[in-house]
Amino acid sequence: MQLTQVDPAIIRVWRWHGTFTALILTVLSGGFSLPIPALWPFPPLFVAIAGLTLAWVWPPIAYRHLRFGVDDTGIAIESGVLWRSRVALPRVRIQHTDVSQGPLERRYNIGTLKLYTAGSRHVRIELPGLNHDEALALRDALLAEGRGSGV
Amino acid sequence: MASDADFQPARRLHGWSWLFGLSVGIKQMVLPLIALIFFGTRDNDPGPFGPYLVPTILVALLIRALWQQFTYRYGFGPHGLVIREGLIFRNVRQIEYARIENIDTERGVLHRMLGVAEVRVQTSTGGKPEALISVLDLEAVQEMRAKVFADSKPGEPVVAATSETTLLHLTTSELVRYGLIDNRGMIVVAAGVGLLHESGLLNFDKEWFDSVLQSSSAAGLVALGLMMQIALGAAVLVAGLLAVRILSVVLALVTFHDFKLTRQNGDLRARYGLFTRIALTLRTRRIQAVHQTESLLHRWFERVTLNVDLAGDSGGSDQPDANKSRARWLAPVCTASAAPVLIAAALPSIDLNDPPDWQPLAPQARGRIFRRSAVLAVLLLTGPAIWYLHEGAIVVVLACIPLAWMHAHLYTKHTRWALAPDAVMFRSGWLTRRLTIVPRDRVQTLSIDASPFDRRSRMANIYVDTAGGGAMRAGIRIRYLAADVAESLASALYRTAGV
Repeated sequence: MQLTQVDPAIIRVWRWHGTFTALILTVLSGGFSLPIPALWPFPPLFVAIAGLTLAWVWPPIAYRHLRFGVDDTGIAIESGVLWRSRVALPRVRIQHTDVSQGPLERRYNIGTLKLYTAGSRHVRIELPGLNHDEALALRDALLAEGRGSGV
Repeated sequence: MASDADFQPARRLHGWSWLFGLSVGIKQMVLPLIALIFFGTRDNDPGPFGPYLVPTILVALLIRALWQQFTYRYGFGPHGLVIREGLIFRNVRQIEYARIENIDTERGVLHRMLGVAEVRVQTSTGGKPEALISVLDLEAVQEMRAKVFADSKPGEPVVAATSETTLLHLTTSELVRYGLIDNRGMIVVAAGVGLLHESGLLNFDKEWFDSVLQSSSAAGLVALGLMMQIALGAAVLVAGLLAVRILSVVLALVTFHDFKLTRQNGDLRARYGLFTRIALTLRTRRIQAVHQTESLLHRWFERVTLNVDLAGDSGGSDQPDANKSRARWLAPVCTASAAPVLIAAALPSIDLNDPPDWQPLAPQARGRIFRRSAVLAVLLLTGPAIWYLHEGAIVVVLACIPLAWMHAHLYTKHTRWALAPDAVMFRSGWLTRRLTIVPRDRVQTLSIDASPFDRRSRMANIYVDTAGGGAMRAGIRIRYLAADVAESLASALYRTAGV
């Protein structure tokens, strides 16, 4: 199966997400910082620098490891940088699908494809970072031939 | 579907239904009522409505039960089972025949005295039953089964009552064995102690200990001397264990009294219970996996336990209605030699005659399991061991190492997987041994994952997901496979899943 990468615009979405998270954590660490006046700014400063660096550096690495492939049988999704996983889902097993978009994703015109199965642990399989139109097309392609009871 | 809209269900519930509606209502109201009585009479003044409160609630419940009985209708529409509830707030539910998977019945003592049954209609949606019909007489249940299952398989001739062959019948001696193997008595005792403790009837505080220690029997105990005290303690312990086992046996006899697994028209049916009689249908095309469990005690008695996962049962563990998604027993207990026959009956599409080609885990698996369990045991035990034993801790910590090696050796020795043309099998564990068989056309998804440790030793874990098992015990998860073996197993299963 040929694996391809998703829309690179997801990197920018993840960077924004990371930045917001880092800022929230900075504010929180400022609130619970050391009660010594001279040392007070250091923990929030550290959190801010580390968080923003990670928010900038991590998304391209995660992007490199997020790949998917579609063939006649179904779809496979590979993800994870340190803990790597690869889920293969035959299209006859798809119960229903969602294509969702958050406000940031809408800004960059990408969407998340969510595939639901009747399984026990992998009930929902998500593929983030697809171009929104591509996500809709992929959904239609997967559903077109996947007419079965699903169990 | 126009004919469906016009269809009016006409069948009514059984004449005694209000009785069961009332008893359910009373059960729901018992706790609030008790609370009301306890807290309401604190100042010894029942209030102006006090004496009438309980009768009023009872009458209201009775009216509700009667109302439900007289407004409830069901019928067999052209496409599905139609159920209408209520008259003012009317709810019409339609369940397509083809979607109905199981029609289970449950009969308590009262049900059996009146010759009726509570009926649960289940579809593959999972969780709660689609319809709970309380109550119908047995003929109506039989009629419903015949109609629903005849219509769900169009083209097949209606064979209402073909010969029903008994596959397994548990005798009393088998149930005694099951009770001895099973640890249910222990669970009941623990739950009972917990309940008593919660309710405040059982309170182990300092006063309780003082009163025990200062009692005359305690003084007598002190006078006995050390050896007698130890002997007495041991006797109490043995008696306690014996009592728990006897309780387990009694529970097994009550729960699984007259357990019978039969086959009719290719589907399996299980019936059991002394007071509450349960009849479950296990439709073979819905069976997703078969699990065989064999603990140490099972092996002493040369018995195994067989369960099946049924589509539509998943998610039961998340529901508060947990007792409704009861374990699907193929056999609570059966001889090890009878197990293959029962498994073959549950998975008729699979050819189990050829012995499977069992494959081991990756060669380095033993070393990794050893290092992992040794490190884990040392990390967990060192602190407490030093705290309690001081210098003696070194013995405990060092003892972990051979034990971890033994565990790793036995685990890798007994853990094997096999890929048959139509099924994937996995057996694992050495103390409690489990065997899971999943037909290849029941596989839902496949996933391979690898932690940094796995990747360093070129290993991967595979998870074969199936429907109907609940997140903890469904499917097959094989750890410590060689990465390329996991890869090829996954792609082989992926190609045949759902074909």
